[in-house]
Amino acid sequence: METIVLAGKTFEVDEDGFLQNPELWDDEVAKAFAPLEGITEMTDEHWNVVHYIRDYYLKFGVAPMIRKLCKETGCNLKKIYELFPSGPAKGACKIAGLPKPTGCV
Amino acid sequence: MGMQRSYKCERVIERLHKKVNRQVVASLEACVHCGMCTDQCHYVLANPGDVTYMPSYKADKLRKFFKAHIDWTGRTFPWWVSARSLYTDQELEELKDTVFGKCTNCRRCSINCPMGVDMATFNRMARGLLVSVGVMPEGVAVVAKDQWEIGNQMGVLREDYIDTLTWMEEELQAEHNDPAIKIPIDKMDCDVVYSINPREVKYDPRTIADAALIFHVAGENWTMASEGWDMTNFGLFNGDDDLGGAVARRCYEATENLRGKKLVISECGHGYRSTRCEGQNWGQKDIPFAMESSVITMLRYIKEGRIKVDKTTNTEPVTYHDSCNNARSCGMTEEPRELLNLVCTDFREMHPNRAENFCCTGGGGAMSMSEYTPRRLKSAAVKAAQLKATGAKCVVTSCHNCVDGLTDLIRHYELGMKVTQLVNLVANALIIPERRHAAAVGGLEGYKILLADDEPDTLAYFETVLADHGAQVILATDGDEALDLARKEKPDLITLDLSMPGRDGGEVFEILRKDPVLSQTKVCIITGKPELRRLIYDRPVPPPEGYLTKPVSEDDLMLNVRKVLEHTHHES
Repeated sequence: METIVLAGKTFEVDEDGFLQNPELWDDEVAKAFAPLEGITEMTDEHWNVVHYIRDYYLKFGVAPMIRKLCKETGCNLKKIYELFPSGPAKGACKIAGLPKPTGCV
Repeated sequence: MGMQRSYKCERVIERLHKKVNRQVVASLEACVHCGMCTDQCHYVLANPGDVTYMPSYKADKLRKFFKAHIDWTGRTFPWWVSARSLYTDQELEELKDTVFGKCTNCRRCSINCPMGVDMATFNRMARGLLVSVGVMPEGVAVVAKDQWEIGNQMGVLREDYIDTLTWMEEELQAEHNDPAIKIPIDKMDCDVVYSINPREVKYDPRTIADAALIFHVAGENWTMASEGWDMTNFGLFNGDDDLGGAVARRCYEATENLRGKKLVISECGHGYRSTRCEGQNWGQKDIPFAMESSVITMLRYIKEGRIKVDKTTNTEPVTYHDSCNNARSCGMTEEPRELLNLVCTDFREMHPNRAENFCCTGGGGAMSMSEYTPRRLKSAAVKAAQLKATGAKCVVTSCHNCVDGLTDLIRHYELGMKVTQLVNLVANALIIPERRHAAAVGGLEGYKILLADDEPDTLAYFETVLADHGAQVILATDGDEALDLARKEKPDLITLDLSMPGRDGGEVFEILRKDPVLSQTKVCIITGKPELRRLIYDRPVPPPEGYLTKPVSEDDLMLNVRKVLEHTHHES
């Protein structure tokens, strides 16, 4: 098992860098993940998306569809890719502390 | 021998006897340990000191128990041919580590073997044996379960899928200010049924919008299915032919139920191979329609003049990565290059290429097996060097797995390249014809339209709609009257019902097409009996410009009539 140090604490991550124990996540962890995904500063728009993904995951146990994400956060597709250069699946989900999405991603 | 064999090993051996076929036996017997395969494997090249990555070494792990149970030499002189059965669960775990974690089934060693040993075929078989006793990477188990139970590999629900397609349709209509751009769902009797990878709908539907725009401009009669739309197939990766068959059958049956003429498969290497080449065997099913990669569809549209492209919109230097499944296993090597050269100004070949290309390192389901990611990224040094040498800023590939595999390694080796697919480049280069301005009302002024139908209500309804939009409308209630009026009035468009008293619509259509004066007149077939299509399409004349199935909504009628007429307008 790999580990990563985020915000002064050590976390277990899978080999793709996703948190192994999603319940240990907090805003500080997200902030520390952000630069690894090409984000220089977490803006309100970033937080809006990250918190939506987080809440959805806690409720349903999976990452939301991009359709839901855009509808509920008011960001269009282009905006999502501007905010998260590594994309919604790998970038935004990792910052929101989700495990790696399954399937061809 | 007296050695106790574990329950799982018993089951694996039992199943081995059922799974060996001629191809597997020939491959397992034919190896002469010449070593030609060694340097073909990207794992070996990136780990030169480690024999456990050598294809012949990996193959010998399987060969040992094959020999012990099936080959006569192994049963007679096991010590001489290194035959050894499987006994413990630990051995199964080791086998898993090899067949899932040290081979992407890319088949580069297979095509370079002078003896014709197909490593990937028996590696897949070994995966299947392990999966049958539940020994597999967790990620593979999760995806396979979703494909079995929900019907697609990312567990996308039907309403979410439809909601996403509708959303893309709205975005396209808004972006191009054109309400005629549609993403039709479950439309019957289409020429194209378009199938996709769930990744497109779940995370990145831009490829769906791009494809829809291309279909729209090409004037394609197309649809997407509300079920059986996932053309990917984890049966190829986990070696489970039952899963492979079930998934492929769903996709085939969707097209069959919609009476589609052709199943078009979006850019996905393993999906194309599974659906186009393997699924009919796994699923034991003959299919009554054609299948095509969307790469070939797009190329065809350009060649047939159905879409026009401007390559100066894509000037960045690009290179092309051949997906193993597309190039090595399905022989699709030239079409993507031809297409690239039509839509880009600076295409640079990567070396080696085509069937000799190296794997993206994410093949064979590797993207779903996080436990092996460090190995995958290490072996990707080979691909990284290939990419770097091209000097391109962007790598194009016709496979979603490759998109993710390449994106990962580009990041790891800091190559700073973009990854994209042909559909994105074609859509970007697409010339969108200027529409004749068709407002909600009006737009048909100056057009003369002849309506032929034997039902007075239908005639009255169509007449009202078309006349309200400014068209001059003439009515005929049977085939002969339609022909007389056509000769006398020379309309711009004739709508034809198929079943009419006297001459039916099919006969009238053929006479019109063969008439020297009227042969260019646009024809739109409108029928309540789509099964009568053969009345039209079996005739030795060019097909009609439009085709509608009753009942026809006002919107559908207007959209189709405008489309047919505008097409006329552009050509003349």
